[in-house]
Amino acid sequence: MNRALGIRLGAFLAMVLVIGAVFGLLSPQFLSQNNIAAIFRHMSADGIAGLGLTFVIVVRRFDLSFPGIAALGAMTTGQLIALGYPLFPSILGGITLGAACGIINGLAISVLMLPDIVTTIAMGSIAYGLSFIYSNGATISDNFMESGILDINDQKIAYLDEPIFFMLVLYVFAWIVLHRSRFGRAFYATGENPRAALFSGVHVRFYVIAAFVLTSATAVWAGILHCAEAGQADPSAGDGFLTPAFASVYLGAALFGFASVPATFAGTLLISMMLNGFTLLSVPYYYSDAIISIVLISAIAFFDPRFAVILQRIINMRSLTGAYK
Amino acid sequence: MSDTVLKQPDPVIFVRGLREIFVRYSLFFICIAVVLTFSILRPDFTHAENIKEVLISASISGIMFLGVTWVVAAGEIDISFMEVAALSDMLVAGLVNAGWGWPLAACVGLLAGVAVGLLNGFLVGYMRLPALITTLATGGFARSMAAVIGLGSSVEVSHTGVVGRFLNLHFGFLPAVAVLTIVLYAIGWFIQEKLVFGHYIYAMEQNREAVVEAGIPARRLTLLVYLISGIAAAIAGILLTASLASGQPRIGVSFFIDGLTTVLLGGMVIKIGQPNVLGTLLAVLLLAVLVSGTALLGWSDWERDILKGALLFIGVTIVVKGRATPETAQMGGAH
Repeated sequence: MNRALGIRLGAFLAMVLVIGAVFGLLSPQFLSQNNIAAIFRHMSADGIAGLGLTFVIVVRRFDLSFPGIAALGAMTTGQLIALGYPLFPSILGGITLGAACGIINGLAISVLMLPDIVTTIAMGSIAYGLSFIYSNGATISDNFMESGILDINDQKIAYLDEPIFFMLVLYVFAWIVLHRSRFGRAFYATGENPRAALFSGVHVRFYVIAAFVLTSATAVWAGILHCAEAGQADPSAGDGFLTPAFASVYLGAALFGFASVPATFAGTLLISMMLNGFTLLSVPYYYSDAIISIVLISAIAFFDPRFAVILQRIINMRSLTGAYK
Repeated sequence: MSDTVLKQPDPVIFVRGLREIFVRYSLFFICIAVVLTFSILRPDFTHAENIKEVLISASISGIMFLGVTWVVAAGEIDISFMEVAALSDMLVAGLVNAGWGWPLAACVGLLAGVAVGLLNGFLVGYMRLPALITTLATGGFARSMAAVIGLGSSVEVSHTGVVGRFLNLHFGFLPAVAVLTIVLYAIGWFIQEKLVFGHYIYAMEQNREAVVEAGIPARRLTLLVYLISGIAAAIAGILLTASLASGQPRIGVSFFIDGLTTVLLGGMVIKIGQPNVLGTLLAVLLLAVLVSGTALLGWSDWERDILKGALLFIGVTIVVKGRATPETAQMGGAH
């Protein structure tokens, strides 16, 4: 392990310890086994949207459509279950529809060369509107008991709650794709310098589209988890995803120098810890937006390359003075 | 001989000119066509009361989106404007209920807009942080603060005061607030077209590096466009408090998509591919007409969401394809 990564990892662990210690002191419940499970549970739904977003940030694009797409996908799954389809095809149906929205995003941005922000805002609005099409906005909960969707929330696999288990599987899978395969290199190459990537034989358009598809698909999964927890599907399934997802990707990137799967995991963990801690201290829910916003702003300020240069200078100075001694 | 050649109308140039006029003023024609369609489908659309309502809602949105126009024209993006309006809306409502007078409460609401605008401008202009993420965060903060004022719920206002009287004032079918909006847009048009400030805004979108190299204070200009956006949104928020007789912390959501749709559709007219105030004014009117007309036809909110999303798609496609260099069109995508 090189030195820079060691420092960054140390900084992350220090933050975990500080946050853990502060909230642990203020509220003894914070470090209880149940509460730690609750933190991971929070990560497994809200944090999973950040995992998909990582890919879009790696190819240096933005996606604002995934909350709307999550709503559409979750409502589709709910409707399929209500119509009597088995659980697995229903979930697959929702995720496929979400992925289709992602393909449209990707095509519009990489082929039609439309600006990413505006395109995804438009797509988000359309997807959110379409999520009302099945029930005119009413919640869907028919067949939920029989279908087994509630078990996703309640059952355990290998001593882990199912949402947490699936989160870990998804993170490991994403880690392999992004950091242990040719595809991952191509994602980074597309983001760093699309022209150079193209001349190196990377199918740039494919990777941009793939990034948007992954974001949409993971967001739908997160929306479905929300539905499993609530016991019903409703169009607000993706409402709280946007800012936390961006905050976790950028906080992770700030900690580890660039956006990556482990970085997003770290960012999500820190944010979930903070939100959980503040909830335990009975800080009202409407402060959470402010907390996440402050975290997000600090994260992008630290993420700024100039800040990294200053930090590097401080480290160099230390090593210089160390050498003189 | 050459004289006669010159006098003959060139069919190619004539057709090109016709197409140019058609593209340039397409939004005017669409606006007229939509108004005519609704008047035929629903005769009550042209009732004085409905026209007044459409104009008031278009005016409030119009004031809110005035500043966003220039932010987008300068190649940045602002997605905090609607939350600034929500914050100023809640601040005014809270202060009025706490016994403050309307003028003073409105000043505080305005100050909130100045504060968020300056913060956005500083972070994006001076620190060069990505505009989207920055305004996402400042907007989230403003939304949170708006909710804090009402402890998570909306706040009823006991009286709508001087602002309420202003909203009720009208000359014939023309509400006073519409006159205010027209005046503001006229000033905006003058600044954009006649002052060097306007030229710099468009220059920044084209090539920020070149603007900086030319010695133009790009950072200060960025600060200024965000400041204007914050102030404009805050004014709209104050008007919303009086118009709804309450402070609504979640009012921002409904203006988000409208704002960007308006600005980009506005980029279809006059200056093709460039957001401009006259275009925004027209697009605001078009959107208000569409909302009112479709409501009369019995559409629900979600159907309008889909329509607005589709319009945004169309608007952005035309803006991007209308621009000479599509590479520069990655609005706010700068990392």
